[in-house]
Order: sequence, then C-alpha cells, then structure tokens
Amino acid sequence: MALVRVLKKGAADAALSYKQLLVIWVVSLIMILFVSFPLRVMLNAVFGNSMAVMRLTDGFDAGLLGDVGKPFLYLLSAAGTGGLLLLLAGFLLYTFFAGGLFASYATAWGGLKMTAFIKESARNFLPFLKINLLTLLIIAGYTFVVLGIPAAARMALSKGSMPEGGSMAFLYFIWILGLPLWLFVADASRRWIAATGSDRAFRAMGAGFRALKERFWLSYGTVLLILIFNAIFIFLSFWYLTSSVPEKGGMIFLFFILSQIMVFIRLFMKAWRYASVCEAAR
Amino acid sequence: MKRFVIAVCLSLPLALAGQVIVNTPLSARLTGYDIDAVLEPETHIVSGDMTAWWVNSSSIPVGDAMMHMYLNAFSSNKSTFARGGRWSPAGDDGWGWVRIESMVDAKGRDLTDSMRYVSPDDGNEYDRSVLQIVLPEPVQPGDTLWLQISFKSKLPSPIVRTGYADDFHFVAQWFPKFGVYETAGTRNRESDGWNCHQFHPNSEFYSNHSVYNVTVILPEEFVTGSGGMFMEEMNLGEGMKKVVWRAEDIVDFAWTAWPGYQVMTRKWRDVDITFLASEKGIRNADQQFEAVIYALEYLDDRVGPYPWPHLTFVDPPMSGQGAGGMEYTTLFTTSGGGLFPSFIRLPEMVTIHEFGHAYFMGIMANNEFEEPWLDEGINSYWEQRIVDDSYGDGYGLVRLPFIKMSDADQGRMNYVASPSRTISTNDLPSWMYPHGTYSMMSYSKAATWLHTLEGIITTETMDNVFREYYRRWAFRHPSGRDFITVVNDVVRSEHGNRFGEDMNWFFDQVLYGHEVCDYIVSGITSNKIRSYSGVVDGDSVTYAKRDRKSDTLYLSRVSLERPGGLILPVEVLIGFDDGSEILETWDGKAAWKDFEYTGTSKAVWARIDPDDKIDLDVNRVNNSWSSDQKFPAARRMAKKFIFLMQVMISLITI
Repeated sequence: MALVRVLKKGAADAALSYKQLLVIWVVSLIMILFVSFPLRVMLNAVFGNSMAVMRLTDGFDAGLLGDVGKPFLYLLSAAGTGGLLLLLAGFLLYTFFAGGLFASYATAWGGLKMTAFIKESARNFLPFLKINLLTLLIIAGYTFVVLGIPAAARMALSKGSMPEGGSMAFLYFIWILGLPLWLFVADASRRWIAATGSDRAFRAMGAGFRALKERFWLSYGTVLLILIFNAIFIFLSFWYLTSSVPEKGGMIFLFFILSQIMVFIRLFMKAWRYASVCEAAR
Repeated sequence: MKRFVIAVCLSLPLALAGQVIVNTPLSARLTGYDIDAVLEPETHIVSGDMTAWWVNSSSIPVGDAMMHMYLNAFSSNKSTFARGGRWSPAGDDGWGWVRIESMVDAKGRDLTDSMRYVSPDDGNEYDRSVLQIVLPEPVQPGDTLWLQISFKSKLPSPIVRTGYADDFHFVAQWFPKFGVYETAGTRNRESDGWNCHQFHPNSEFYSNHSVYNVTVILPEEFVTGSGGMFMEEMNLGEGMKKVVWRAEDIVDFAWTAWPGYQVMTRKWRDVDITFLASEKGIRNADQQFEAVIYALEYLDDRVGPYPWPHLTFVDPPMSGQGAGGMEYTTLFTTSGGGLFPSFIRLPEMVTIHEFGHAYFMGIMANNEFEEPWLDEGINSYWEQRIVDDSYGDGYGLVRLPFIKMSDADQGRMNYVASPSRTISTNDLPSWMYPHGTYSMMSYSKAATWLHTLEGIITTETMDNVFREYYRRWAFRHPSGRDFITVVNDVVRSEHGNRFGEDMNWFFDQVLYGHEVCDYIVSGITSNKIRSYSGVVDGDSVTYAKRDRKSDTLYLSRVSLERPGGLILPVEVLIGFDDGSEILETWDGKAAWKDFEYTGTSKAVWARIDPDDKIDLDVNRVNNSWSSDQKFPAARRMAKKFIFLMQVMISLITI
C-alpha cells in the first residue's frame, strides 16, 4: 500500500503546485507562438486569397507542392527549422523549471512561493541539465544494447532485411520495462540536488542509484504506473491531434482550448511523477 | 549446312502457322527466332545458336538487313549509351558485349564479311549497337530471309535493364535482333526502309511482334522465368538442366535466372500469373498480385483484352535492382517490394506501370525511340488512373493522417514544378530531349495532358478512344498521328462539333507546342449600385430610392486572366454571399475576361476549373479567389502545430 500512498501524496503535491505549472504552460506556449505565428503569416502569404488552402483540410495534400513551388519549400523549411529550435528551447525551458518543481516537492510539498520557485529553478539549472544529458546518454546506451545490437545481428543474419517478428516485439517490451529504472534514477538524482542544495551531478546520480536500490519495487512501481498513465494519455493526445478536423472558426477555437487542457494535464502528470518520486525517495 | 536448310524447310510451316499459345496469330509475325542457349554463370556469358527469320512484307526487294546488337552498348565507354553518362562497368569483368561468331543464310553463304556497324542516330563511330548486313541477293517481296547465327553474349555489370549481379542474371537485349522494316505509310513514313535505332540511355525499344522458341541450358540450382510460356524442363545430368519456352506475338524475349528466387503463382481468368522474388520480396506477393490483377481488370475492361494466357513478373533482389522497373510484354520487373510501409504504394505503382506496358507498347508496338510519349505518357496516364481508382482517389500513392498524395498529382507535379517545362515540344525522339527533360516530358507532361484531355472530352469518351485505338491498332505499330486520328474520330462521333471540327487544336498545343496553361482569378469586386442622382440639365434627379437593405443592388465583377500561352476552354464556378452559385464557361482565348452580375447578393468567391479537369494548369493556387481570407485550414494547421510542439517538447524532456 506504500505505492498507493506515494502516488496519492504525489498527486496532492502536484496539485498544490498548480501555479508553477500554469507558469510553465504559459511560458512554453508563448515560446511556441513566436514560431507558429510567423508560420501562419507565411502560410497566408503563400496562399493569398486562394481557396487552394482548402486542400489542406484533410491533411497536407502533397500535390500542392507543384503548384506553390519554392515558397512552399521555404515554408516547410521554416517549419522544420523552427520546430527543431523549439524542441531545443523547450528542452532547456523544461529543464529550467524542473529545478523549481523538484525544490518545491522536495522541500515544501508543492507549496513553494513563485519567487522561490524561479530562484530554485535558476539555482538548479546547470546540475539538472547535466543529469538530464547523462540520463539521455544512459537511455541511448540502453537502447543500443537492448534493441540496436539484436537488430543489427538479425539484419546481418538475414542479409540486410529489417528485423521483424515476435522476437523484436519481445525486445521492445523489455526496453519499455527498463525505462522506468532510468527515469527514477534521474528523478531521484534531481530530488537529491534540490534537497541538499548541492550542484554535483555525478554524486546526485549516485544518490539516485542508491535510492533505486534501497526501495527498488516502490521506486520502480511508482514510475512504471505513472508512465503507463502517461503513455495512454500521449496516445490519446496524438489520436486527438490527427483525427480532429475542425471546420469552422468556433470549432477551431474549441480544438485549441481542448488541446491546451490536454497539454496542462500532461504537465500535471509529469509533475505527479516528480512529486511521487520525491515522496518515494524521501 | 544441309541440315540447316532442311531444318529451315521443316520448321517454316510450324513457325509461321504453328499455334501453341494463342488460337490465331495476333500479329503479322514478320520475324521469329529459334534460340538454343547456354548460360555459363561463372563467366556470365550466354552462348547461342539461333535461327532468325524475317519476312519481306513490302512491295520492293530489300538488299540488306539491320539488327540490334544492344549488349554492345556496354562494350566501351565511347558507346552512345555509355557517353550518356549513366553507366560504367563494375571492374574489368563488368563490360558487356554480343559477338556474332558465324552467320549464314538459307543457302549456306557466310555473311560475316558483309556485316558492318552503323550509327543511324548520331554517327558515333564507336557505337556497336546496330549492325547492317548487306545481303548477297535482295529479299524479294513476300520472301523470307533466314539467318543461322552463332553468338556469344557477355552480360554487363552493374545491371541497367540487363546484366548480372553475383549469381543473379537478368538476360535482356541479349541476342541479335532484327530492326523493323517499315513500309511506306507505316507511321506516316514516306518510303520503305529499316527502322533500327542505337541503344540510348534515355530510350527503350521498337520491334516487330515475333515468335520465339527458346531453350536455355544452365545449372539446375537456378530458378528461371521468362516472357515465354514454360513448355518443359529437362534434367540433363551432371548438375545441368534445359528449360524450354515458347512465346508468340511479343516484341522481345527476356529471361532471368537466379538460385535465390522464390516462386508463387495465381490465376486470373485464363491467365497464369507467376511471381518471382527473393525470400524477402515474396512476402509482399499478395500486394503485388493484387496490383497486377487490378491492372489486368482495369485495362481489360477499358482498353481491350489481355491476349496471352501467361504473365510473369519479377521483383529482383536488392543487388539486382538495376533490372527493376522494366517491361518485356509478358515479362516485367517491379521493384521495392517489402521496402516500403503499406501507406506508400510505390511498389504497387511500379508493378501497375510496368504491367501497363504490356498494352503500351507491348500490344501496340509503337516506336518508343521516336515517340516516347506514345507509350510512357499513355502508360503513365493509365497507371495513375489505376492506382488512384484502386487505392483511393486523392491518396493513391501516399496515405497518412498528415499527408496524402495521389499518383496523378505525383506525375503532374513532376511537370508543373519543372523549370524546363517549356524547353521543348512533347513530340521529340527520346534521345533528343534537352537538359534531362526526357522523363518529365515523356512520362509526366504527356500523362498530364492526357488527364486534361479526359477532363475535356469526359472519362467515358476517353475510354472509348482507347478501346478504338486498341481495336484499330493492336499489333500494328501506330504512330502519334494515328492516335490523334482515333481521338478525332471518337470525339466527333460522340460529341459532334462541340469541341470544334477535330481535336487537333488540342494536340497542336500540348504535343507539338511548348506553351504552358495558366488561368488566374485576379480578383472580385462588388460595389453597391447607387440610385440615379445628380444634376442633369440643370435639374436635380433622384430615382428609385431604396429604403430597405435587402433592396440594395450590387454590381459584382469577377476578373479572370490567362498569362499562359496555352488556350483551353475552362469552367468557372462563382459563389455569392447568399449561398447561390453560377457555373460559367470561358473559351479561354482572350487574355482576360470579366464576368459581371447585378443583384442583391455579392460575388464572394470564384474558382476556375472547379472539378480539376485541367491538370495542365501549372498553378492551381491562383485558380481561385475568395473574399474570406480567414480560411480555417491555415488556422487549424497553426493550432495543430502548437499542440504538436507542446506534446513533443514534453516527450523529449525527462
């Protein structure tokens, strides 16, 4: 029952930090608007008063490429570059605010004041960035070992054809089962930084591994369960993103509102994991 | 030699009248080949003894014979083919060639000293792809020229249509083959003569429909397939076997041998379909058979019957992909099976395209050298119709939640997006297209204007055009002019003079001209019509004062322009703010046109070619204009972009 207690306490702490979550949501939205607004202006400039834009109603009709010509390539190029820059900036932004969130959950059960939240975010930024990068490196290595090497071996054995079939599905399953371990270590490490005020990322990682070892099943179970919820939610988000085709202005606005509610829920679920790990590692 | 003469006499009736595959000859059968060949897989050499015959169907004696020696295109870096820059050998063993070791006529006369290589297309002295044989005595009208030829053919590597890769062999253009002797009037020709072009990088072929009896001896571990009907296979012992095929009324005979082939067969009506592929490619067999059967049914229904009871197609292994995407009437190669996810129908598109060549040019046997649009353009047009009708209009080629593309749009895009689209007319010989425009012009532009023709004369009439084209010209070497005559006759019989006396105005522009088609809605204005007021002859006048808003009259003007030089009749759909619509037609001849409307509603949008019939229009974005710029699609895309980025950022951060 410790698992349920941890999850409940984590959810409560995450709910308490709703103001911080709102700040993260607003700042990230503004950041994305800086790219999306010029893209929309470009799109309107490319199509002008033409009704050809209606061919984008049911997904992007690639047949338009020939008609629009180079301006459309510029548009795609701008969207691609802008998207990559946004991913980079978003990664840094979330890393920054994670510092404040962990401080909030590790020291104030979610009740950190806004100024302290920003201050803690700034203080923890660099060690958190190191931990994030180290964790991504570990996950990449883990992926290479669990998926990459067997896939390469199978490709070599089958003379160049892509691996497929049941054994790869099993490996994907193993890979997914291992993922919560690394996420817990990253979260517990960041909690250690936030709780101790240290900026030593490698020591923090050591603390993260120790926390995993000491309370393995609770730690693993906590992150696994939240990840399952997250996976379902992300699937729903993509389903909504791809299947929803609002036709009129009001429906498009409703789509925007619903999508932002989903983004906020996703933020909350991430904060829930942070807070639950802080509780589990306490 | 006596044995040869006896064999010729004995086989003559069988060759000319023998029916093994089809009930009655489909073609005039002016040429035929009996070939006994041996494949040496280690050296990639095919040795052959061949009896070849040609019937002089003209009314004059013919003093020479012309033969394709196409493997010689791979024999040096100075051949016309190699100069095209598309091929260089994979090491010293990669060169390909065909050599005649002996050639005698029916009287046993040695003709090897009468042979010389000629280059009728470009005068290239190093090209060895066309052989002229000066005969010791002319072939009289109605007589048959018999040649007994021993040859050796070395396959090239890497493969370009023909060749080998390791133990994979695709054996095409491999034996000395007669050119086409055209009589005056054939394809608008003024006088009799041989039509025998060199092997070019950007061209395919032109041949007579022939009868083939082919035997091949090769190691027994090789799995084989060919354009002929399989007759028998004999075990010769010592690890060797002999395979026997016969083919009737096809324009070329190619075959393939590889130990790694997996074989599957299906039957469609009376046609036995055989699929050869690698272990990986065979997994895609269901989709491939489905594509072939789609195409068979489609063309059988709309053009004419597929006349042979056999069809073989091949998905070469990865190392032999150079053989992929080629056609030999009853044998064709596809490519890419199993390499693409199911939402990309590229392998199916290749399969349908290459099968379509069984009709254009396999059955028609038009001259691909001189009029490539007549087979590649027409075949691409049908391929696009089949793919889009079979896999989904609007997304026949690619279908994803975010992106889609029809096959017709893919072809059209190649044309409209090409900066060289006005560089030449569409009727050039294949090797004459400048700046690498052969593919764009022969395939894409021609298919695009055929879709446009369909849009103008209707799909039903277009199908009838092709039914008539097939009826008149199957197995008879039609020219582009012959096709146009069929179009004119069918359109006239079905539509009278609706499109003018004939459709030459269309072909003069799209085939023999190089202008582009572009129509624009340049704007819409709607102004209130004021009541008559002012001072006239010193008196102040005010008439018809309206006191209700609904009584307000508007003068709406829809302005159209034609910046392109190509003139086509177009439809224009105009929408008003009360929801009503008016469909107008414009002959498109003037440089501009205004449509004016007076009424209580304002024109708010206009769309030229609302049903997208005119595929030739190079820019459909400017075909429409709406006063409402707040199109939901752009807004929705922006909102989705925001959502996508938010989800992605939250995913990549831990």
